[in-house]
Amino acid sequence: MIRNLNIVLFVTSLFALSGVYGLKYAVEQTASEKAELQSRIARQQSNLSLLKADWAYLNQPAHVGPIVVRHEAELNLQTLQQDQFGRFDGLPMRLKAPDDDALDSLFESLEAGIDPIQQIISEAQ
Amino acid sequence: MAVIDIESDALIALDGTRKERGNLTRGRIRWVTAVLVLVFGVVAGRLIQLGITVHDTAIEGRERDAITASRPAILDRNGLELAVDIRVPSLFAEPRRIIDVDEAVEKLSSVLPDINKDWLRGRLTGEEGFVWIKRELTPALQEKILQLGIPGIDFVMESKRFYPGGTESSHILGAVNIDNQGIAGIEKDMDDENVALLQSLGLARGNELAPVNLSIDLRVQHVMHDVLTDALTRYQAIAAAGVMMDIQTGEIVALVSLPDFDPNNPVTALEKDRFNRITSGIYELGSTFKTITMAGALDSGLVKITDSFDARFGVRFGRFTIDDFHGKHRILTVPEIYKYSSNVGTIHVMQTFGKDNFRAFLSKIHMDTTAPLELPEKRNPTVPAKFSEIVAATASFGHGLSVSPLHMLRAVAAFVNDGKMVVPTLYKRTAEEARATYEQVISPATSRKIRYLMRLNALEGSGTRMNKFAGGYRAGGKTGTAEKVVAGRYDSSKTLALFASAFPLDNPRYAMVVLVDEPHNENAQSGHTAGWNAGEATGRIVQRVAPMLGISPDFNQVLDDQLVPVELR
Repeated sequence: MIRNLNIVLFVTSLFALSGVYGLKYAVEQTASEKAELQSRIARQQSNLSLLKADWAYLNQPAHVGPIVVRHEAELNLQTLQQDQFGRFDGLPMRLKAPDDDALDSLFESLEAGIDPIQQIISEAQ
Repeated sequence: MAVIDIESDALIALDGTRKERGNLTRGRIRWVTAVLVLVFGVVAGRLIQLGITVHDTAIEGRERDAITASRPAILDRNGLELAVDIRVPSLFAEPRRIIDVDEAVEKLSSVLPDINKDWLRGRLTGEEGFVWIKRELTPALQEKILQLGIPGIDFVMESKRFYPGGTESSHILGAVNIDNQGIAGIEKDMDDENVALLQSLGLARGNELAPVNLSIDLRVQHVMHDVLTDALTRYQAIAAAGVMMDIQTGEIVALVSLPDFDPNNPVTALEKDRFNRITSGIYELGSTFKTITMAGALDSGLVKITDSFDARFGVRFGRFTIDDFHGKHRILTVPEIYKYSSNVGTIHVMQTFGKDNFRAFLSKIHMDTTAPLELPEKRNPTVPAKFSEIVAATASFGHGLSVSPLHMLRAVAAFVNDGKMVVPTLYKRTAEEARATYEQVISPATSRKIRYLMRLNALEGSGTRMNKFAGGYRAGGKTGTAEKVVAGRYDSSKTLALFASAFPLDNPRYAMVVLVDEPHNENAQSGHTAGWNAGEATGRIVQRVAPMLGISPDFNQVLDDQLVPVELR
């Protein structure tokens, strides 16, 4: 009875021993994997932060402004003047009905072979 | 087996064999128990020892968490970055784990040639846990050093502050030291608030901190910086500064003080004259103060906008006579006094108002206390506690008392915002939050009169140079050309030019103060008074920023006519 128990205990302890041994190595490997992942994350975070800083720098008015100034002459860039703004109420409303007389005279002149645009240009000159 | 000793009196008890064996076993069990207790005691003791050992992670007295801690990104009101953290490797050594110091020194100096070998040898010798070798390296250098394979040398990822805008917002942002602690500006304010606490608790790691939105609009900030930089050379001035505020919410939209510094290289902040002129400079603000005198006098009801005052002769105080710079020497109405910036007229207005009432009004608009703003760089204004006749007279046109431009900005903002004075802030704020700080300093009716006076000055007075650039945006304000005190006397060749303005005056949104220190004439045709420099700079700024801020130009005469008070129509 006692002998059987001893054998069972002995076998169990053998298994436990080899189990613990294996576990130790598994943990060590996991730990080194974790360390590697952590250093990779840190490296990527560092790269990401550098890229974000680059992006922020490139978007700064302090960075874009001098580029605009450099190309001012080439692109004929000027400060926006107040009279360059328009308003919706400044636009003429659409006519309620077509201006029949004006259209008739336009068609007549077209049939007579006069280009209205050419006419305006020649009048201006 | 029993033997009886007859001669002794005592009884001798003899144990049986079985009992003797039993005693022996009990003794052995006791021994075994004792040994077992000892063995387990040792094991338990060791466990406790392991449990209570504190692993020393401090680097040169500072917690590793505090060193790797990051700061929240600072964004402008539209989300553009003003300050970001970048993660950079820093090289440290554990001298007690270094086997061959000389070899380590040789190898390290092959990668870091600018490092002093003797210094490094001293650094690596000893029993310390951690010593820094070089902080904030590049990832490429880190790779090279790792390939050297020196034991006892390692990296820690540190956060380094980077300001992508460079000098542009330097006086707002301030700077941090190498340990990422704020030492100036809003960075210091954030530390005083809560970031330092989070860092010390080790909570501020990685990207866990939510970014902070400032009230600054980076586009407006850029324009103001650009125009003032131009003003420095255009008027050969020694300094220029400007600040713009949303009058309803109290948010500072832009704040520039030149010369400035590069927050990426905080040492430059210590150079001479690099202080923030808006918050920590106090000046005699000259004629811009007339707006304040007028507001107080008109609000009291003792002076009416239709009144006239005799400005024919200078005002005598004992030996002194105060006279006008742009002298008209006739009887002037209140709007004319303001328009021609008459010192004599303003003194009469103040005297009708009463010098004690005037002094009380200055307290009411907080001219004698430090202006509230989150920046730690602030200076107390110097305003005499009691006004004598002559001090009150000079104070009415801004001499004999020194306040910061921020004080003036806050007052002008209140005057055009229906008399509601707001507490300025550098953080983004909603209109409701701002309304909680409102303080009624003048009545809405007086506010309308001040708006009229400011616009009138732009149309007909000293602000016409400004209006030439900012036409259509209904801007208006008051100039101030204050002579500086040199060796105890006012020196007319050294002046401080100011322009305190607001726009658009038919529906005011923004107030602005611009100052140019010791300006010169731009060319032979131009003058040296404030309208020619601070005024023009204000106009240039308004012209460029108004469209960004959603204000469209309108040349409609009706808008200006509506500003005229009913009494004067």
